Amino acid sequence: MTVHLSVVIFLPLAAALIALILPRRLTAPLVFSATLGVLGYAIALIADFDAASGALQYVTDAAWISELGVRYSLGVDGLNLFLIALTALLWVVATFAASLRTWERPRLFFFHLALAETAVLGAFCAQDLILFVVFFDLMLVPFYFLIGCWGDGQRVYATTKFVIYTLVGSLLMLAGAVAIGVLSEAPDLPAAAQALAGVSAPGGSRLSFSLADLQARTLPAGTQQWIFLLFAAAFLVKAPAFPFHGWMPDAYRATPLPVLVLLSAVLSKVGVYGFLRVVLPILPEASLHFQDLMLVIAVVSIIYGSVLAFSQDEARLVVGYSSIAQLGFITLGIFSLDPKGAQGAVMQMVTHGLVTAALFLIIAALALRAGGSESLARWGGTALRAPVLATLFLIVALATLAMPGSPNFVGELLILFGTFEDKLVYGIVASVGVVLAAVYTIRLFQRAMHNRVAPDVESRDLSLGELATLAPLVAVIVGLGAYPQLVLKRSEQATTARVEQASKLAHRTARTAAFNIDRRW
Amino acid sequence: MSAGSYGWLVLAFPLGGALLIALGWRLLPGRSAGWIASGAIFGSFLSAIGALFALLEREPEARAVTSTWFSYAQTAGLSVDMGLLIDPLSVFMALVVSGVSLLIHIYSVAYMASDRGYARYFAYLNLFVFSMLLLVLAGNLILLTVGWAFVGAASYLLISFWYRRKTATAAGMKAFVINVIGDVGLVIATFLLFSETGAVDYAGVFDGAAKVFEPGDTTLVIACLLLLVGAFAKSAQLPLHTWLPDAMEGPTPVSALIHAATMVTAGVYLIARTHPLFELAPTAADVAAIVGTLTLLFAATVALVATDLKRIIAYSTISQIGYMVLGVSAFAYSAGLFHLMTHAFFKALLFMAAGSVIAAMAGRQSIDAMGGLRVAMPLTFATFTAGALALAGAPLTSGFFSKDEVIAATLDRGGLYTVLAIGAYVGALLTALYAFRIVFRVFLGEPVVEARSLARGQLAPSRHENPATGEQEDTDVGFPGPEHHIAERERSMAAPMGALALLALLAGLLGVPAVTHVVDRFLEPTFADSQYIDQTPSDGAAYLGLAIGGALSLVGIAAAYLLYVRRPALPLVLRARFARTHRLLSSRWYFDELFDRLLVRPTVAAGRFGNAVVERFLVQGALVDGTSAVVRAGSSAARAAQTGQVRAYAFLLILGVSALVLYFLSGSV
Amino acid sequence: MDASWFVVLSAFIFCIGAAGVLTRRNPLVILLCLELMLNAGNLALVSFSRMHGSLDGQIFALIVMVVAACEVVIGLGLIVAMHRRRLRIDVDEMAQLRG
Repeated sequence: MTVHLSVVIFLPLAAALIALILPRRLTAPLVFSATLGVLGYAIALIADFDAASGALQYVTDAAWISELGVRYSLGVDGLNLFLIALTALLWVVATFAASLRTWERPRLFFFHLALAETAVLGAFCAQDLILFVVFFDLMLVPFYFLIGCWGDGQRVYATTKFVIYTLVGSLLMLAGAVAIGVLSEAPDLPAAAQALAGVSAPGGSRLSFSLADLQARTLPAGTQQWIFLLFAAAFLVKAPAFPFHGWMPDAYRATPLPVLVLLSAVLSKVGVYGFLRVVLPILPEASLHFQDLMLVIAVVSIIYGSVLAFSQDEARLVVGYSSIAQLGFITLGIFSLDPKGAQGAVMQMVTHGLVTAALFLIIAALALRAGGSESLARWGGTALRAPVLATLFLIVALATLAMPGSPNFVGELLILFGTFEDKLVYGIVASVGVVLAAVYTIRLFQRAMHNRVAPDVESRDLSLGELATLAPLVAVIVGLGAYPQLVLKRSEQATTARVEQASKLAHRTARTAAFNIDRRW
Repeated sequence: MSAGSYGWLVLAFPLGGALLIALGWRLLPGRSAGWIASGAIFGSFLSAIGALFALLEREPEARAVTSTWFSYAQTAGLSVDMGLLIDPLSVFMALVVSGVSLLIHIYSVAYMASDRGYARYFAYLNLFVFSMLLLVLAGNLILLTVGWAFVGAASYLLISFWYRRKTATAAGMKAFVINVIGDVGLVIATFLLFSETGAVDYAGVFDGAAKVFEPGDTTLVIACLLLLVGAFAKSAQLPLHTWLPDAMEGPTPVSALIHAATMVTAGVYLIARTHPLFELAPTAADVAAIVGTLTLLFAATVALVATDLKRIIAYSTISQIGYMVLGVSAFAYSAGLFHLMTHAFFKALLFMAAGSVIAAMAGRQSIDAMGGLRVAMPLTFATFTAGALALAGAPLTSGFFSKDEVIAATLDRGGLYTVLAIGAYVGALLTALYAFRIVFRVFLGEPVVEARSLARGQLAPSRHENPATGEQEDTDVGFPGPEHHIAERERSMAAPMGALALLALLAGLLGVPAVTHVVDRFLEPTFADSQYIDQTPSDGAAYLGLAIGGALSLVGIAAAYLLYVRRPALPLVLRARFARTHRLLSSRWYFDELFDRLLVRPTVAAGRFGNAVVERFLVQGALVDGTSAVVRAGSSAARAAQTGQVRAYAFLLILGVSALVLYFLSGSV
Repeated sequence: MDASWFVVLSAFIFCIGAAGVLTRRNPLVILLCLELMLNAGNLALVSFSRMHGSLDGQIFALIVMVVAACEVVIGLGLIVAMHRRRLRIDVDEMAQLRG
């Protein structure tokens, strides 16, 4: 039992609470140092991580609500190690970028920023289902305020839509979570009633929401299916996936850019992480049953997101729709129900987060140089006096389209390889998405940096502050591109363990057909 | 040092050069960036020679050295290493690439001297050479794909080097997208091979394929066809060739390096490298051979009527690579690769000379505006003619021996390949015709204004406009520099051109049938496992082929002389007679329009449809607005009961109480 | 004297009061009728107390009177406030709680 993870999770919140009572000029430095502390901790976790064991490390496991079987249980394994590091790094970058601007009511702003970091880290570290749901819903609160109070344009409409969309999913997920906990202990109604009655009995109940326990107990297939749909609703809205992405355009327009970095790069990952952490291990039969449905949703998201990405005029929405497509790839990898696909999904989660964050920072820099406008029609020729910006943007753009040599390529390669195993057709349609990604990314790059200098554009190179936020991200992207094994080695054990059961079921049904090469055609 | 270490050095030099120039460009005065870059390539070339000798020290059977640095990605059964394969094929390619690149770097030092983006140019050029060397030295299919993509990215950067030109950026986008299509083909092919053999490194795949696949296996054929998709995208073969002529938007040395000597040969290299797979799937090899032949004929016909100097040479490249593809798909590997080498020499030379011509013409590229430059530019004329002779396959030039070796080997295969060989001979005739069309139109005849002033010692000032559209430009970063440089005045341009002219004329001596077999013997260990290794044409057949080829080239040169020197009115008459054919050829067989209608317009329309219909009506309208409309309707229905009238509430109260009382009364009675 | 007749009488008075609440529009009259209903209830309580011989009903009747007094105070206060604002003393006009 260690307290490391609790410190990691609650350090930002503690700093923010202290900052609430200190003078205004200390707020940003204090919160920023807290995020740096979390990042340092995360790097130490990676360095100290034992790649060979698939078990949870740095475990915290204390009783919380023993009557309901809810425990305060945290742990790190290959699956969430790099997501925690990604969160820590991106919060450092976003907080620094935010501290370069002035905000109204800065103490409240940074408080919400820090609370959001706490919630996200908690969601990633949680090893108890109800604890996970608590942090998942907690994530929503600070973002509601950040968008609604400090956003631009139709911010209240955007944030209301965003919250309602997410809440519908989250509440369904809560129902599903409770159902899992109760029904895995007592599979039918009378026994369930008895178990619930036993909740208030003196010795506590036999209910448990710990993920390890839930994975060990199996639910009947029919029950698994409707619970799967409840969870899928929540996670697909978070991602977002077509057709649940309606909140995205307005929210992306309204959110202030440093917050948008976090919304797009980190928040979307919690949903797909939930699939790998909760759904696939605990509901394997349902995952297999709905595999085709989820693959269709994934592939449609890829194509739809890519096609819309290159017909947008607003730079933010290009990246927004591209995120729908990339998250579609991640979902594809997860529901290929193959270890390669799952490893690819984990890799892609990390690299997509890095790349999207860098893209939004670059868009912020470009908007500053175009008189505040983010419309592609008003951009052009910014590369003229900005070679450093152009180079960094190029590297990020090439990583976005998953050019071989970037870490995104390794992720997509593994995802496609995992999909091709049994579901060749889906993989081939998804490959079309790769070509479309090249089109919209190069279009964005060229409209911004190349061709004639647009009349409103003032081409100047990156300032020191902008460089400080962008350079570390680009360095990590390039480094991971040269050595992706860094992530793959450590995530392998845990990820393959999560997918194991569903994968076995999937291959069993696939191979009952004659095992020969022609089965694919 | 071992062959492996030399291999890593070959890669380290250009990468180091690129990084050095990229990071320190502000500190490098004058032309030093160019010399640093050239020095880096020289180091790479020397290392390649070192690797050559290290290989030659070994026994022929042991000339395949793998060198692994670290594990790149290893998970769930997939194991990819950062590893190189040093064998005769890769060393051959590395020598050709680094050697020709070196000469082009030296040429560029002067050619690009007044461009404001000088350092950026050399950083990109070094990066490109690094990528190409990575591609040829890679030891597994994934690293090959990484090199493949880097080459595509470097090519994009160099094509859109003058990035403020709309035509250049559009050309770059086109090239990049077609390249990505090739990448996707490679990835799917790699998967098919991996899933059956469990490996991605060459040795594992080839050995595994021999064990797992029956000859003609469907999966293997499809995998090979997908490899061909990648190869054709990179080597600009039908139908993925449309990017190459547009790529002439880049500076001329870029065209020389990338689009003549190196990048476009990557597809040929791929087929040669994966030859064990193609030999197990002859159907795919036949497809490749047919496509190669069709391409060489198509491109030759278009080159006959094109008027932009660089585009003619570009179509010539497409055509000549068709020969190489034909060669390696007919399993005449060393013939195809020999032609790759000689083509690199004479095509790079042609482009370099073309660059000099265009500079003399103050940036104009249309041959209709050129004439009689022979007197003013003797060096350029001599080297260009040398290159044209080699291209036409005039007797005893390098192109003569290499091209005719390819065609002779094809003829020797028999069956379908006899037809393809006849097509190749027709193409050879056309090649000689268009090659000397350029020579006679540009260098002979009445001298134009620019030629006359140059003969008097006055170089025409550059016009600062886009040669294709005529738009006015400035000379700042992103557009060409203020001055143009010609070979007669710059030694660092003349020297490489002279060296290449010698090579273009004399390199054929490396492959004279029955006399010298330098290339064949060197490449033998790589292709030792081929079943066709001993199926070379007999000496008699080879000499007959040489005779036919030589005769055809002389006929072509004579015909060009007739049409463009003796009877200059004749081409115009022919154009009028065959107007429809002329239109077909000058519109490049309408391929661009075809792709625009088939692919580009539907996708753009889909995007517009997505925005206007799906986003507005389905997602926003149905889901969001629909839900709130339903909720609002429900609550207004419920609101009807809230009248605000006290008496109505009282009535309901009494009603309810009475009902309860009655219920309990009736229950107890 | 049979105490059940008093219960019948109380039922009559209750119904008259209820009818008055439901049909009259003047709030003063409604308050009067409410008093009728409450007193009818009182009468019923007292007669039941007499019938069963225990005092619980009579004590409860006292409590009802307290409640009636409080409720009349508030009701009359509302009517005076309505009058002060020059509103029509008509229950149907007071529909501000309409949804």
